[in-house]
Amino acid sequence: MVLEHDRVLAVSPAARVAGIRPGMRRGGALMLMPDARLVERNPAREAEALDAVALAMLQFTPQVALLEEATLLLDIGASLRLFGGIRALCVRVQASLRALGFSGALSCAPTARAAWLLARSGAVRIAHDPGPGAGARSSARAGRRCGRVLRMATLERRLDRLPVALLPPARPYMSWFEGIGCDTLGELRRLPRPGLQRRCGRELLDMLDAAYGLCPELFEWVTPPEQFRARLELFDRIEQAELLLAGAHHLVLQLVGWLCARQLAVERFTLLMEHERGRVAMPPTALEVALAEPSWRDEHLVRLLKERLARQELPAPVIGLGLEARQVREMAPPSESLFPEPGGSEEDRMRMLELLVARLGPENVLQALPQADYRPEVANEWVPVQEGRGGARMDARLPPDVGSLPRPSWLLAKPIALLMRNHRPFYGSPLKVASTPERIEAGWWSETQTRDYFIAEGQDHTLYWIYRERIVGAGEDAEPRWYLHGLFG
Amino acid sequence: MNCSPNPGVSPLAAPEALHPSLWRASQLARSGTRCVDTGHAALSTQLPGGGWPVGTLVELLQQQPGIGEMRLLRPALQACAERRIVLLQPPHPPQALALAALGLAPSQLLWLRTSRSADALWAAEQVLRSGSCGALLFWANHTRGESLRRLHLAAQAGETLFFMLRPLIAAQDASPAPLRLGLRPAAGGMQIDFVKRRGPQRDAPLFLPLDLPITSSLVQRHAFVDRTIATPAGARHLQPQLVQ
Repeated sequence: MVLEHDRVLAVSPAARVAGIRPGMRRGGALMLMPDARLVERNPAREAEALDAVALAMLQFTPQVALLEEATLLLDIGASLRLFGGIRALCVRVQASLRALGFSGALSCAPTARAAWLLARSGAVRIAHDPGPGAGARSSARAGRRCGRVLRMATLERRLDRLPVALLPPARPYMSWFEGIGCDTLGELRRLPRPGLQRRCGRELLDMLDAAYGLCPELFEWVTPPEQFRARLELFDRIEQAELLLAGAHHLVLQLVGWLCARQLAVERFTLLMEHERGRVAMPPTALEVALAEPSWRDEHLVRLLKERLARQELPAPVIGLGLEARQVREMAPPSESLFPEPGGSEEDRMRMLELLVARLGPENVLQALPQADYRPEVANEWVPVQEGRGGARMDARLPPDVGSLPRPSWLLAKPIALLMRNHRPFYGSPLKVASTPERIEAGWWSETQTRDYFIAEGQDHTLYWIYRERIVGAGEDAEPRWYLHGLFG
Repeated sequence: MNCSPNPGVSPLAAPEALHPSLWRASQLARSGTRCVDTGHAALSTQLPGGGWPVGTLVELLQQQPGIGEMRLLRPALQACAERRIVLLQPPHPPQALALAALGLAPSQLLWLRTSRSADALWAAEQVLRSGSCGALLFWANHTRGESLRRLHLAAQAGETLFFMLRPLIAAQDASPAPLRLGLRPAAGGMQIDFVKRRGPQRDAPLFLPLDLPITSSLVQRHAFVDRTIATPAGARHLQPQLVQ
C-alpha cells in the first residue's frame, strides 16, 4: 500500500481483495488488513524512477519529454520505420518497461496532448496496480489497451467520450461542470468558447485545442547527460551473484538508451556492487567488462554480464548496484550486405568469442602463436584470443618447410618417461622405431634440450613421437632414457 | 498414384522416387543437408550423401586419442578452413606446427579448455548456434543422451561441421547422431567400423590408408622385419601396464 498524507494512494492486488480502495484513510485500511505493509510516498524516488525510464526510452527516439502527472512523451514519428511499424514498437516499449520493473499505460495518437489524455484515462483505470518500483506510472505517446489512435477522425471520436476531469485546468471547476451536466470533452467543446475562457481561464482552451490538433505544441525534450552513471538500490540483501542480473538489466537498459541518444557504443563498462555498510565498511566490488567490439545492444551486454556474474563470488551481501560507462566511442552501425555470408559477420564472430571468454575465462580461450624455436614445447605457444594479434602475422611465424617436419598433432603437456623392456621402449606394447632420428639440440640459454626424436609404432599400429635424452648424467643412471612426447592424431 | 513420377511403375517398386527421405534398407540414404567431401574416395562412397554432413552430429568413436583422427578429417577441415576451426577440450595440447602441416593455418584455430563438462557442453552449443565457425571438434568422455540430442538440435541450426570424439565404449549406448563411426588404428592407416549410418548394415571394417603429412626423408619407406623378441615367455607373464 502506498500512502500520501494518510490517504491510500495505491494498493497491491492482495490489498484490493481485502477491500482496500484508494482514498481510504490509514486507520480504515489498517482495520481491513492489519498486517498490511504501508509505504509512504516518496516523490524524490518517483522522479528518479521516471528519469531512469526516460533514459531507457531514449533508445526508441531521441525526443522524450517529461510531462505532468508521471507521464512520458515519446515522439515516435521518425522511429516507425526503424522499429518495424507501430505495433512492433509498442511491443518493444512495453517489454523494456517491464524489464525496468514498471507497469504503464501506453497510448499513441497523432497529437501529443491527445496521447497524454488517452494514457491518463488508461492510467486512471489501472491506477490500482502500480509497478513494483517507486510507484511511478509512466505513460507514453506510443499502446496498451487504452488506445492506439492513428487517424484524426477516430481521435476526435475517442476524445469526445473522455471525462472532463482528466484535464488538470478543469479540475477546480468540476462542481460547476457537474452542475451544468457537462461530463465529457465532447460536451465541453460545445460550450461557447468566450464564456469558457472567462470562467476557467485560457489554459483549459489551449490544452483542448492542442489535443484536437488545432494549435501547435512545444515540449522541452530530455537531454541525456554527458557521462553515464546510474545507480539502483536493491529491495533486499542479495548474496548470490546470479540474482543481481535482473537489477543489472535495469541499468543496462538505461545505458542502452543513453548510448543510442548520444550515438555512442560502449567499449568498457563497470558494474559496481555496493555492500552493506556494516561495522566494517567494505569498498564496492567492481566487475569490469571490456568489449572487443563496441556494442550498443542490450541482449549482448546482458548475456555477457550473466556469464560474468555466474563466475563472480561476493564477499558480502549486495544492497546496491551501479553502472558506469568507462570508455565509449562513436557508434558505427553495421552495413548490411546484399548477400549475407554464410558464416555470419565479423561482429558475430567477435560476439561469440566474447561470450566464451566471459564464461570460460580468458586463459581458456586460446589461439596459436607459433614461436621460432627448435624446442617443440617452446614453439607450440598458445595465447588468449583477446590479445588481438593479426592473423597474417601469426601465419608468417611458421617455418617455411612446415610440411617436412614430423610433428605430432597432440603434444603431451609433460613428457612421459617410458619403461624399458628388452632394451625397447614400452608403452602399452613394445614400440618399434619407424623413422630415422631428428636431432633437436637448443636452448643452452635457458632450458637445454638434447634430444633425438623418433616416430615409433606400437603393436596396434598407433604412431607415437618419442625421444631419447642424448646426454644423461654420468654415474649410476647412465642408461639412455626414453620419453613419450606426442601422438600423431 | 498422383505422387509417383512414372504412372506405369508401382511406387512400391521404387519407393526412393517418391520422396527424398525414403530409401531401401539395401541402399544408402540421400542426405538432406550439404555434405563436405571426406577426401578419401573409399570412405565417401560408403557415406550417405557422399561426405561428412554439415549441421549434423557426427560421432567418431576411438579407443584412445592420437590414432590418426586428424589425418582422417584433414581434407574436410581444409575445405572449411576459411572459417575458424574450434578444438573443444582436446585430450592433449594441440600442436600448431603439426596442424599447419595438415593445412590448417594457426590463425584459424581456436582451442577451448574447460574445467567442467557442463561448461564444455555450453561452449559447444554457443559455437554451434553462432554458426560463425567452420568446424567444431568436441572431445567428450561422458555425455548423456539428452545432451547429445540438444547438441544435435543446435548443430541443425547452422552449417557447422560438427564431430564429437567419444570413447569406443560409448558405441554400446544409443545416440541421436545419424552417423557414428568407430576408428581403430591399423598398419599404414585406419580401420573404420560403421556403427550407425543411414544405409545398409556393414559389418566388415573399411581400411583407409592414411599417410603422415610429411615429405621428409626421416620416415623410412621400407618395411620392417618384425624380429621375435628374445624372451617372449617372460614378457607374457607380466601384466601390460601403462606407464605414467
